[in-house]
Amino acid sequence: MCVGRALQVDVIYKMKLIEALEIAKRPVAAAAPQMRVFLACGFTPLYLQTFMAAHLRLLLPEVRFIVKTGLFGDLVGSVERLDPSSVDSLAVVIEWADLDPRLGLRTHGGWKPMDLAGIVKSAEETATRILRALTEISSHVPTVVSLPTLPLPPLFATRPIHAGFLETRLHCTVASLAESLSQQPGLRVARPQQLGEMSPPTGRHDVKSDLTTGFPYSLHHASSLGDLFARMIHNRPPMKGLITDLDDTLWAGIVGEDGVDGISWHLDRHTQMHGLYQQFVASLAGAGVLVGVASKNDAAVVSRAFERDDLLISKDDIFPFETHWSCKSESVRRIVQVWNVGADSVVFIDDSPMEIAEVQAAFPQMECRLFPKNDYQGILDLLKHLRDLFGRSIVTEEDSLRLSSIRESGIWRDPSQFAEVSSDAFLKSAEACIVFDGGHATGDGRAFELVNKTNQFNLNGKRFSESEWRQFFTDPDTFIVTASYKDKYGPLGKIAVVMGKLQDKRVHLNSWVLSCRAFSRRIEHQCLKYLFDAMGANEITFGYQATPRNGPIQEFLTGLLTGPPAPGARLTREQFVARIPGLFHRVEGTVHV
Amino acid sequence: MSERETRLIRCFASVFPGLSVDELRSMNSESAGNWDSLSTVTLAAVVQEEFDLEIAPEVLPRLDSFDAFRTYLHRLSQAGE
Repeated sequence: MCVGRALQVDVIYKMKLIEALEIAKRPVAAAAPQMRVFLACGFTPLYLQTFMAAHLRLLLPEVRFIVKTGLFGDLVGSVERLDPSSVDSLAVVIEWADLDPRLGLRTHGGWKPMDLAGIVKSAEETATRILRALTEISSHVPTVVSLPTLPLPPLFATRPIHAGFLETRLHCTVASLAESLSQQPGLRVARPQQLGEMSPPTGRHDVKSDLTTGFPYSLHHASSLGDLFARMIHNRPPMKGLITDLDDTLWAGIVGEDGVDGISWHLDRHTQMHGLYQQFVASLAGAGVLVGVASKNDAAVVSRAFERDDLLISKDDIFPFETHWSCKSESVRRIVQVWNVGADSVVFIDDSPMEIAEVQAAFPQMECRLFPKNDYQGILDLLKHLRDLFGRSIVTEEDSLRLSSIRESGIWRDPSQFAEVSSDAFLKSAEACIVFDGGHATGDGRAFELVNKTNQFNLNGKRFSESEWRQFFTDPDTFIVTASYKDKYGPLGKIAVVMGKLQDKRVHLNSWVLSCRAFSRRIEHQCLKYLFDAMGANEITFGYQATPRNGPIQEFLTGLLTGPPAPGARLTREQFVARIPGLFHRVEGTVHV
Repeated sequence: MSERETRLIRCFASVFPGLSVDELRSMNSESAGNWDSLSTVTLAAVVQEEFDLEIAPEVLPRLDSFDAFRTYLHRLSQAGE
């Protein structure tokens, strides 16, 4: 199944039930990939199932979704009995009544003061059982969970304006459950604040529906929850780069006119929001987002501005700076080229509607956003939107290395600027070291990310859902090899992934990706050499497929196979040895196949 | 066909996809094999949302055909005028 980036859907879409029914029942191509989602909830799933299916269809129109449900009234049992191989994704909706039925409206179990401590204790015990069940299942199936979204009924003796001890303890139980769940690697917890913005608490509970049909949600709440779950299940890859303007964007004022000391981003100058933007962009850079500047400005003046020690983002967090008087689209083009990423994974921010329009016209697939200067709420909303575009579950070591390695990659694009003029001599002088890690592990988040986001040096463009990824490694003949790289110019981190099967000294490659930051270093040759030498292969077949963007691997294979590659192309050890160029890396590695 | 009836047909079509307008207009719970309790509840929810009204639980069992829904909506509109 393709898990590529779909349309950016961060707008709160108030889908009506009739629309959901129509969308969910739209025909899908017979050959469409299928995704099986299991919806576990303690109530009749009714329209939540419909809304979830519809929102998933909107996000991934080319996928056939099958949303299955378990036994109503037995949330934990449904999860505990679930066969992990029967589903691709699990959505778990926990409500108060699942912790103890007396916390809902459909039982008459008693709300006497003497009952309350028992209710809370029972809820704690159920929470422990839920944690155990979800910890177990999420190690096999990607799982998304929401904690209680409905208001508690008026069972506690205190006035509604007063949070008493037992009620607070109940909330602590849920918070503690959320904390424990959020630390599970295969599990994502829905963020209550986001749901609150999509569906205000007072409009969530449909008491009549709860009592007459067993479905407790208002249609709007069901739609919001379905939307949230669909987005968590889809889990689209984050955007890669942010290009920002400077004047009246990164700071308030025009540095060329107001001077370096005249620009501001502070409370006392009523320009605090620009400081928050700086702080936010610095946090993106820290998480591995590429940050570049496109500003019509005097480069020397900008350089002096970046020497101000109260700036909240360092010039080291930004690369490259395009500060001159040429048109913005040209600056953006150069930045995207240096980063070597697709324009559709880049966001452009500017305070000028004209500049936004000019860049948008040049890059229709790029997300171009106006910086709403002087609009406090508008800027905060922009930051939230950017967090949605760039947010990621984990920040890896490679993320922190990305910008510096791209900065250094200029050296690799033009080695002639150095003393060594021949390529071999230059590669020798780089003092490169490649560390291979071969094995059968499925829990490598960086490898999963690389395979799912690399476009250019990618054997076939195959993307994996989390469940497909886990499924691939259930075959004992499969292997995965990752390569990390460093040289005297700095480390690149983990930059290559090779996945396939080894049978009778024959390797079949299912996936092979190499980060574009690592081109021109002959790492790809070293990967194949590893398969022949360390894994003892005599022959490699390539599960190659041409894609609109995998020209670099096509070119590489054409050179190696002495002709354009075809699906199933073969390379023997002898052919490889005869065609391999000089390799100068120090190679370290382990193989656990 | 009135605008109200057109909207009602869309409601029915969303719950019973793949049927012609004539088939939808002549539907009732006895003749349609796929009209079950879930369809009734879903149909009621769609109609409530589409026409911004609330159907009382005791009325629901009587809404067992397209005609019954059409008549119900007609009476409601007359009562509101």
